[in-house]
Amino acid sequence: MNSGIVPISDVQLALSVILVLIAGGISAMLRLGLLKSLAWGTVRTFVQLTFIGYVLKYVFSANNLWIIAGLIVVMCFIAARASVQRTPNVPSYPVALAFWSLLASTVLVGFVVVRIIINPEPWYSARIVIPVFGMILGNSMNGIALSLDRLYGEVKSRADEIETLLAFGATPWEAVRGCVREAVRSGMTPTVNSLMVVGLVSLPGMMTGQILGGADPHEAVRYQIVVMLMIAAAVAIGCLLLVGLSYKKMFTPDGALKPEVCESKK
Amino acid sequence: MAKLFEIKDIVFSPGPGKGRIRVSGILDEGSIMAVRGPSGSGKTTLLRILARLREPGEGQVLLEGRMWSEFAPVAWRRMVHYAAQKPVMFNGKVGENLSMPFELAAVQGDMAFDRSRAMAYLKRLCLSESILEQDARTLSGGEAARVALVRALIVEPRILLLDEPLAALDAKAASAVMDLVSEWAVEEPGRGIVLVSHTGDISALPRVTIVEIGTEEGGSR
Repeated sequence: MNSGIVPISDVQLALSVILVLIAGGISAMLRLGLLKSLAWGTVRTFVQLTFIGYVLKYVFSANNLWIIAGLIVVMCFIAARASVQRTPNVPSYPVALAFWSLLASTVLVGFVVVRIIINPEPWYSARIVIPVFGMILGNSMNGIALSLDRLYGEVKSRADEIETLLAFGATPWEAVRGCVREAVRSGMTPTVNSLMVVGLVSLPGMMTGQILGGADPHEAVRYQIVVMLMIAAAVAIGCLLLVGLSYKKMFTPDGALKPEVCESKK
Repeated sequence: MAKLFEIKDIVFSPGPGKGRIRVSGILDEGSIMAVRGPSGSGKTTLLRILARLREPGEGQVLLEGRMWSEFAPVAWRRMVHYAAQKPVMFNGKVGENLSMPFELAAVQGDMAFDRSRAMAYLKRLCLSESILEQDARTLSGGEAARVALVRALIVEPRILLLDEPLAALDAKAASAVMDLVSEWAVEEPGRGIVLVSHTGDISALPRVTIVEIGTEEGGSR
């Protein structure tokens, strides 16, 4: 399966820096102020990916269920933190809620894909589990960040409507139902869009990677279909869980809208 | 007249940097309690506290002798309804805005939308039947205020908390509103109104109790 792989030497890898130098040159010429970020981003890419390369090599060779589970939990925590930080409309938010939503949706969908659909031997094979869970997390993280931000944005902009509904005796759920709908829709839109154009506009990274690695394109396509569908399911579940857990935090024990919900992140 | 609603030593601060205000007052069945005080003195905040849309520093409110903590918040707000100064109109026609509260579980369990009743109130407030088909977001400020008032009246709360209901109205419409709400208060037993208004001669209304706020102590007279 990997017979067609073309290895990249250290020198060839170093040559790829030329590409970022071109981007840096454009940034300097147009005074975009991105030079420092580009340089820092390049260094981080090298360091983080080299580091994870060693981690994965160890995890793959150990192929131990508990090490794999531990790594997934760490990945979930990092993804949860990153998603909460990308929400300008959310004044303060507990990472724990994002973590549990991501963990639940990722484990649920990932388990179905790994255990039932792909079913390698052993079923927790790190070579399958880590990339599958990583792809789910990467997409879910973006989805829940969009949902959370949209939920708070909607509630802030429709606070008068929500209070009017509460004043008539609406429950918090009845009062924010419309905002929840918009939030979940917002989180799922990029995933739905990518389902629409995959193969026509974009060739997904995983499929491209497999083809570059020498896999049969038909085989790569089959994997990609599974990946696309699992991402759609995981994003939907993650967004629903997070929004479902979050809306209650916007209300006091009396079911009134908390004043701080209408503030933005400092 | 029987005591319906009692504000017992409610203490709150109207805003950051403002002093604490203490308010007490009694509203009898079929009566109107008019809350008066300078701008920024916390009249709106008081109404929101009474509707349990904001928590007070301390104090109690009683409805027919029962403390507010004995009621579930949703049940309380169903009975003690706050109608905001700025009327909120939802997407859709005026008719849909009027029937909207009846889609909520708390109201649906009690009663169904009565279109003829809504029409009767709209007519009393100088609005024609054709307004029901109008897009609610195209209403003028005065029309929206009257539609919002009708929406509040037809759900039949026990206590209606009205925040500046006359602010956007001309003299004729304001007079119609005051006539309607004072009649509504005695139309059925067990009703009362707490009102905040800068405009109109509130003290000329029948069955009015005035509550002054804006100082450390407030009391009824």
